[in-house]
Amino acid sequence: MKREWNRNAIVYIFLIPVLGHFIVFQIYPFILSFYLTFMDWKVIGDPEFVGLKHWKYFLSDKLAWKAIWNTVKFSAYYIVPTMGLGLILALIINSGVKSAKFFKGIFFLPVVTSFVIIAGIWGWLFKGTEAGMINYLLSFIGIEPQLFLSNSSQALAVLAGLSIFKVAGSTMIYYFAGLQSIDQQLYEAARIDGASSFKIFWTITFPLLKPIHFFVAITTTIGSFQIFDSAYLLTGGGPNYATTTIVYYLYEQGFTSLNLSYAAVLSYILFFIILVVSLIQRKYLGQESNNY
Amino acid sequence: MLKKVISYTALIVLGFCFLLPFLIMILGSFKDVQYAQLDPLFWIPDQPTMKNYLYIMRDGIFMRWILNSVIITVIPVASQMIFCAVLGYIFAKKQFPGREIIFWIFMAVIMIPQQLLIIPKFIMFSGFGWINTYWALIIPELWGIMGVFLVRQFLQSIPNDLEEAAYIDGANDIQIFFKVILPLSVPVVATVGTFSFISNWNDLFQPLIYLTQEKMFPVTLGLASMLGKEGNFGIEMAGSAVSFIPTFLIFLFFQRYFTEGIQMSGLK
Repeated sequence: MKREWNRNAIVYIFLIPVLGHFIVFQIYPFILSFYLTFMDWKVIGDPEFVGLKHWKYFLSDKLAWKAIWNTVKFSAYYIVPTMGLGLILALIINSGVKSAKFFKGIFFLPVVTSFVIIAGIWGWLFKGTEAGMINYLLSFIGIEPQLFLSNSSQALAVLAGLSIFKVAGSTMIYYFAGLQSIDQQLYEAARIDGASSFKIFWTITFPLLKPIHFFVAITTTIGSFQIFDSAYLLTGGGPNYATTTIVYYLYEQGFTSLNLSYAAVLSYILFFIILVVSLIQRKYLGQESNNY
Repeated sequence: MLKKVISYTALIVLGFCFLLPFLIMILGSFKDVQYAQLDPLFWIPDQPTMKNYLYIMRDGIFMRWILNSVIITVIPVASQMIFCAVLGYIFAKKQFPGREIIFWIFMAVIMIPQQLLIIPKFIMFSGFGWINTYWALIIPELWGIMGVFLVRQFLQSIPNDLEEAAYIDGANDIQIFFKVILPLSVPVVATVGTFSFISNWNDLFQPLIYLTQEKMFPVTLGLASMLGKEGNFGIEMAGSAVSFIPTFLIFLFFQRYFTEGIQMSGLK
């Protein structure tokens, strides 16, 4: 008994409170949220059981489907450019340039900066008048001032641009690690055979980075489905719901309209989407690690 | 040679593009400019003024926002480092019933998006009387699954010999944790701390839900409320710059831990 205490006291002292915390702040809310979806939760008064009402409403809610579609569109604008830019940054950093560490820091800086700071500047860069810097730059090549955030077909792309700028630095870190793990002898052999740098990249580097492409694609996909901050800060979901993403719609339903039960349904939809993406990742990465 | 020229050109052009927003923030913070009077080159240094900084220093609410951010960041960071270190150690080295199943549940729960938990948590915290208090932002963040996972990964690669030797010398496991394991884990615990700092200091979503009183806002939410008002852009930039200082310092000194942590969390 004493020996057990000597060896495992730390388990009892720390694990039990942490598990209690885990149940209260993660497991219980998860279950409560599911229960909520079958209730009419009122801010004042007792909740009332309504069965599948909110789930059925979701199926016919055009705005919810628009929010999902907007989020998918956002992903399309965001995922490939983030991966591409991250890969380019990693290739430059890895190409043997001087002060690579310093530039790596610069590219990573937006990752640790809050959305609020970047959005404040972004909102002005893409201001829809001649006072915005991007419009100013466009005027040099003869393009008329664009509305950007006030144009329903451009706003989502501007928000995606903000996210690309913010996240490319972390994609770079993954690719950089991947590039460093490639065997240098492969490059030397290819060079001896007279292959051009361009050819070496497409036949050796790019295919060997396949596990990283996959991993980065999954994490950026999950991230893109949770996009909220920039829509809240810059467009408020508009114009004409063009930037109402799933999480923005959930926020609006839950905390502006106080329709918490319906927001819970939307949050479960988000969860299912993320779950499917994560399961694909686990399945694939599981196989991948067996291959090595 | 050509390759070198391309590399350096790309490096400098992209480096400039990535720095430009930060440059605009800093230069802009020294300018006295109303949002309505903005022009594309307002940030070009000419007639710099400290007015904006003096304004936010004197304006009680901004410094209160900074203080709120410090409170809701420092406490979780300290707590996360302690609890994640201990829990990581427990799951890496200890044998106890349910170890595998508990860890498996942790790994499953990590897939639940925060946006799902925030609705029931809002209802719970309303019941606890935690709305418009620090508790709602501190208590749930006292430890984190990701941190436990990182420490566990790290300690699994360390042999058990040291620990066993210490047991033979008559040490109990709490002494072993503090004298043997913790000194070894400094890098990974620093990673947990830096991650926790960034996620708490930059968090906008949770404060937005749990706080309605301006005096309780952290600086993210405070700046967001300025963003909507279209007042003095210089003041907004000065506020952004001040709120960026802690992030920048942490980044400057702990950059290595960020990048290592990102790699560890992704590529096992």
